[in-house]
Amino acid sequence: MAEASRDEQKLWLILFQIKAIRARLNSLAVQRGLFWTLALGIGAAAGIVGAALTLGPLSFLTIAIILGTAAILGSCIAARSAWQMRASPARAAAIADSRADLKGRLATVHSLAPTDHRSFLWPYLIEDTYGARESFEPSRVEPRWLSRSFWALLGAILLAVLLFEGALADRTRGVVVAGGGVAPGAVTADINNLDIRPADPSLSPNAEIYADPATLKRLQDRIAQQNAANGSLSKLVDKARSFADAIQNDIAGRPRDNQPPVQMRLTDKSGKPDDGSTGAQGKPPNANAQANAHSSGGGATKDNQGNGQNQTPPVGSAAPNSGLAANPGKPGSQNPADTQNGQPPDTSLADGEGQGSDHGSGSDPSSLFGEPSAQQLGADNFKIAIDAVPSTEASGPGSPGYLPPKVRAPINTTQYPDEPLARASIPEADQTTIKRVFER
Amino acid sequence: MSEALAIAAERVTIADFARVFRRIQGEVHKVIVGHEQAVEQLLSALFAGGHVLIEGVPGTGKTTLVKVLGLALNLSFNRIQFTVDLMPADITGTRVILSADGRREFSFQPGPIFAHLLLGDEINRATPKTQSALLEAMAELQVTVGGTTYPLAPPYFVMATLNPIEMEGTYPLPEAQLDRFLFKVQLGYPGEKELVRIVSSTTGPEQAGIEPVFAASEAAERIEELKRLVREVMVAPPIEQYAARMVRATQPDNVRILGNERSAIVVDAVNRYVSFGASPRGAQALILGAKVRAMLDARANIAYDDIDGVAAAALEHRLMLNYAAHSDNVGAGDIVEQVVKAVRAARE
Repeated sequence: MAEASRDEQKLWLILFQIKAIRARLNSLAVQRGLFWTLALGIGAAAGIVGAALTLGPLSFLTIAIILGTAAILGSCIAARSAWQMRASPARAAAIADSRADLKGRLATVHSLAPTDHRSFLWPYLIEDTYGARESFEPSRVEPRWLSRSFWALLGAILLAVLLFEGALADRTRGVVVAGGGVAPGAVTADINNLDIRPADPSLSPNAEIYADPATLKRLQDRIAQQNAANGSLSKLVDKARSFADAIQNDIAGRPRDNQPPVQMRLTDKSGKPDDGSTGAQGKPPNANAQANAHSSGGGATKDNQGNGQNQTPPVGSAAPNSGLAANPGKPGSQNPADTQNGQPPDTSLADGEGQGSDHGSGSDPSSLFGEPSAQQLGADNFKIAIDAVPSTEASGPGSPGYLPPKVRAPINTTQYPDEPLARASIPEADQTTIKRVFER
Repeated sequence: MSEALAIAAERVTIADFARVFRRIQGEVHKVIVGHEQAVEQLLSALFAGGHVLIEGVPGTGKTTLVKVLGLALNLSFNRIQFTVDLMPADITGTRVILSADGRREFSFQPGPIFAHLLLGDEINRATPKTQSALLEAMAELQVTVGGTTYPLAPPYFVMATLNPIEMEGTYPLPEAQLDRFLFKVQLGYPGEKELVRIVSSTTGPEQAGIEPVFAASEAAERIEELKRLVREVMVAPPIEQYAARMVRATQPDNVRILGNERSAIVVDAVNRYVSFGASPRGAQALILGAKVRAMLDARANIAYDDIDGVAAAALEHRLMLNYAAHSDNVGAGDIVEQVVKAVRAARE
């Protein structure tokens, strides 16, 4: 009886160690599922925030969808993997057998322990297995108590912290990352260069347009025409863009509706001449308290809104609350350097402050030619898109031309000073002709 | 007997099994050079209670191996040379008329089948009818002649040899006959070193003397004890399932044979080259062979490795290959190897 009791004790100890192994294995499986799910969630959230701070609305939306889907799928896979890793007592015994090289002793003991059909070799098996108990201690079978997936979680947290720190630093420097910089709130554009599309009706306007009545009428016609021609896909894209922009604003902590309006002077070079002396109105460009014209869904309706903000709007970003897009980069547009700023050539830029070209300006014909630059010559045009709505305060005939104020914005951290224009190789026969042109 | 003494006795028995096994091996290898694996499989089949089919080209020591085994075990031994004109009665025995005291009566004259160890030399040279005369003896340890059943004395161990060449005028063994052999042992040509040893040991004046491991009076009983001990080795249900899965994996995915229940593990080579897979006797052979291996390792339980170790010997001769296998020169050994790999991978 005493021997049988000792056998039972040994059996109990063996089974207890199997249970301990199982607990450790299951703990690791749970940790794996939990840590991976958290890591994926945190990593995806960090990625989405990073995308919100650095990308445009549609890119942000795409990245956010991809990251969100990947995080959900990854979490499902991690949970499934953890579920598959879980150890039943039999599996724990088999794993211990394998890792401790016990050749099936534990699996046999575990599976035959509850049965009565034991061989007369059973005591031998118990004794044999008990003698090897040190080799299947839980700490030997599975030395880890913390899953390796913890490092994934740690990495995700570090990534999130780094992104958060970066975003915080940008905000404290006062730099609006999305949009790419600060620009004056006044531009001049030719209506022929405008790419007009309807805005989301749920959004408020964020630009003011000044033009003579004929130009305004032409603008309205084009808006109506564009509105009729627009397909459902572009409407969907517009909605997606607006939606993404709103989310971006929420994530980045930017206010939605308090951006100052863009002041845009609209001209019509193909129609009656508008050189700035006719049809312009004397509206102060930065009088933000003035009423905005809102062309909702293509500019069919207009309402006035006060906007008392005095912030500098981002240039190049889709001003989310407007209804038009100007595209001055199209063929036939006037010189962007002039039209975009709405300023005459700014001589103050050549005063050594490093913000403009310092040679080949045309003021000195003797400096027109020289050694060709090494850099590649490319097309000196660019594209810029803004959203705008026409203003009811159109300039009338005979009114003084609208002269936008000189605005000089400091270069921010993401901008670089202009580089010198590249020189081309000019044949000597042509140089005299060119010189004469500039001497005039 | 107290529990401690029982354990000690079992330890001695398990250790004794390995000792006896190794001693028999040693005696056999006094004459048989090389073929270590074949000898081990042969003895495993003996202690597992099965029979062995030995395949090898002429001159590789098939008959010698069996003879030496008989001498080492000190058991009664008979040899039958199977020929095409051999009749079943030549094997089982027949009733003859004997006259005693002026009376003539039928008396049963036992055939060579009545021995502990039976060597059926070149069994494939006899007709299927004669081959089948062994079926009852192998499966049920009895012989029925003229309506009378005569039991065979245990241990009863049939070793049949097959010559894979000179196939003209031979009769391939029926599937039912093949299935009754626990293992099929392959005897290949010896290597150069082994050949030198064979030449030197068999062409000299002195022949190696075989010393019986058991006394003649106790040999049969001792072997039966060891066979019973082998049966006591424990098997965990997952390992039984592993063996069953391995046998199922040798069966081609044929609805006509298997019904709608498909094998959990599908091996492409099986579906392509196998007409009929292993029978349940294959699973029994796996477990019994594994039990002997476990005993040799001083274990009272089977491990997965034990099953893998006997898979080739236990399953190869149970696979019926089709013509595609012959044309592609694919053997049963290749297929069993793939099956073992697939089943092992599924376990891991």
